[in-house]
Amino acid sequence: MKKSITMILSLIFVTSAVLTGCGGNNNAATKEKVAPAPEVKTEEKVSEEPFEMTIRHTQIGADKEKRFAILQDVVKTVQADVPGLTFKLDGVDSDVNRKEKLRGEMAAGSTPEIFELFGSPDSRIYAKESKLLDLTPILAELGIQDKFSNLDPFTYEGKVYGLPIGGSGEGFFYNKGYYESKGWKAPTTFAELDKQLADIKADGKVPMAGASKAGWVPLMLANHLWSRFAGPDVTNKFATGEAKWTDANVVQGFAKYKEWVDKGYFKKGELGFEYAEYTTQFTSGEAILMYDGTWKSSVFKAGQSGEGLIGKVGFFNLPAVEGGAGDQTALMRDVNNGYGFSAAVANDPRQLAAVTSFIKNFYNEQMQLRGLVEDGVLPSMKIDQAKLNENITDGLMSEIVAVLNASQSSFPAFDSLVQADVTTEISNIQIQSLIGGQTTPEKMGAALQKVQDEANAAVE
Amino acid sequence: MNKALKNPLAFTLFVLPALILFLMFFIYPIFSSIYYSLTSWNGVSDTVKFAGLTNFKKALGDERFWISAKNNGMFILFSVFIQVPMIVIFSLLIANVKKLKGLYKTAVFMPSIMSTAVIGILWGFIYEPNIGLLNKIIGLVGIEPIYWLSDERFAMISILLTNAWQWTGFYIVMVLAAILSIPGELNEAAMIDGATGVQRATKITLPLIMPIITVVIMLSIAGAMKAADIVIVMTKGGPAGTTEVMATYMIKYAITNFKYGYGNAIAVLIFMFTLLVTALYQLLVARRNERIEY
Repeated sequence: MKKSITMILSLIFVTSAVLTGCGGNNNAATKEKVAPAPEVKTEEKVSEEPFEMTIRHTQIGADKEKRFAILQDVVKTVQADVPGLTFKLDGVDSDVNRKEKLRGEMAAGSTPEIFELFGSPDSRIYAKESKLLDLTPILAELGIQDKFSNLDPFTYEGKVYGLPIGGSGEGFFYNKGYYESKGWKAPTTFAELDKQLADIKADGKVPMAGASKAGWVPLMLANHLWSRFAGPDVTNKFATGEAKWTDANVVQGFAKYKEWVDKGYFKKGELGFEYAEYTTQFTSGEAILMYDGTWKSSVFKAGQSGEGLIGKVGFFNLPAVEGGAGDQTALMRDVNNGYGFSAAVANDPRQLAAVTSFIKNFYNEQMQLRGLVEDGVLPSMKIDQAKLNENITDGLMSEIVAVLNASQSSFPAFDSLVQADVTTEISNIQIQSLIGGQTTPEKMGAALQKVQDEANAAVE
Repeated sequence: MNKALKNPLAFTLFVLPALILFLMFFIYPIFSSIYYSLTSWNGVSDTVKFAGLTNFKKALGDERFWISAKNNGMFILFSVFIQVPMIVIFSLLIANVKKLKGLYKTAVFMPSIMSTAVIGILWGFIYEPNIGLLNKIIGLVGIEPIYWLSDERFAMISILLTNAWQWTGFYIVMVLAAILSIPGELNEAAMIDGATGVQRATKITLPLIMPIITVVIMLSIAGAMKAADIVIVMTKGGPAGTTEVMATYMIKYAITNFKYGYGNAIAVLIFMFTLLVTALYQLLVARRNERIEY
């Protein structure tokens, strides 16, 4: 009898434990229900009970220390501003965050309250599924709705779902010391650039840094090249069918890249090198030029890996191509990296207040200037030119701003304009095949157009 | 105790926790994956559209999927025909050393406790074209530097070697345990009868450790079919997709592209292929080596 009772009790215990484990998370379910418009009721007595929120960021590694310091300062201010709040910082590699963690969390409804978010197409996909907090009322409340240069990548059906941390432009960083030793200046024509590359090669140096293990690295320059030959708006027309990857001008862009590869202008074996190696080739003086985003300027600051090149690095835009279509000063610029917020925040007034405070303290003129000066990240908000000039003290940043001002238009990188399948095909297969010699510019165009047609048809 | 286990209630009580865990973490995910493989789902949306066998047709008709499957096949062939014989040879050698046996065991086991990311970095240095150890060694005999990870002719073999280096030690320890459990009298009797070391190894030790070798091959096949991390760390599937395996194909072409339905179809195909290969191996080879009678 006693044994049976023990057994029954044990069975009940095990069953209840399992049922508890299998039970639905009502809180999570409630979290998913999105309130239509958040309201911050400041008049109510605010509870001072401790509560925790998580910020998922990607500021990890030595090169991102400055950006991380800015985030930490904002965290401290917001914690002081919102009673009881403690932030938990969750640092993750940016690719892992974007392509793995965040997606899984979005599906499971367990995203951190604040997280780094990629603008287009990611934020729109999440916004469509009501996973992101609508920031439009918060921006209006803070009076900063018109302060951003471009919120398009984070806008869905007229509402804003994310805010860009900063902006970036892509161009050539060059070794000024080497250029001066040759009596050269930054090239102003494409022919001049071509001549300099040939001369650097003849001098026994590597003309351009190369690290194409990840396809997006060589695609920065390739994207700019096909946009020079075929026009800055050409990539935007692939998804609508108005332009094709097989168009002669686009193929000419691929051919130019291939020509530079064949002439040995990039470091040999580049297909096996990581992005970190790309920077090292330039900072070590092995490569004379490096095509990269303006974010890379942060490396040429005290205490960073390119410290030895402080004052010895210049920046120029890809020169105009003779006979190229459209604006030949156009610069590739992006505002795709930003912060997004979980839709569940709308259900908790204290979390909403914390998010509002975070936006107020992160997205202001002071922090934008700090990002520019300390980290070399271009502002995503409109800043008075005089103030910008006042704050820019280093030569490299002045050159970057001069290049930005000299360009009459800009275009975003291809991955925010074409479908994910096309991005996968060009990043993982085609650009590496072109570099490795397994395809030709014409075949590359044809292969991309095939995937593009399938992707366009799938949308229809 | 035996009496208690004869009671159906007690039996159920003891089996239930394991059964529930098995259902929750093994059976449910499999069926869930099969369900989603028949749908068109972006992984985020609440709307899941039924798509029939479209995802399977797409995968089986994609040349890149078959390149990935072929690379998994390369993993299996390399494991079975190169790695396993090496494991057996090293195990026999270590089993017969008189001194520092523990040191050898620890040394060979070490790579298997290291994370794949660390191994990727370590071997990245070895394969480095300019300053890497491997090119320095072949340079001594006048061979030009080889671009191990960026040349499509060498990238796959470089990954296979690294993978073998990582797991060989783990299997050596398993085989070594089997060798050391063979009763010493058998070898002593053979020695008295005049058998040489090679004869003892091939006629006594090898037949007696066949069951564990069978298990090692089985584990190698299963490991080869789900290989992903080592590829991601070493080449990211490149250059130009030549080192892609089915799992990395699934990540690149489905998961990162918001095509979870397609991703699940690939997962189901990996599961089915693995099941098929292991079942064939069990039927044709493993069953013959199940029993050892001393």
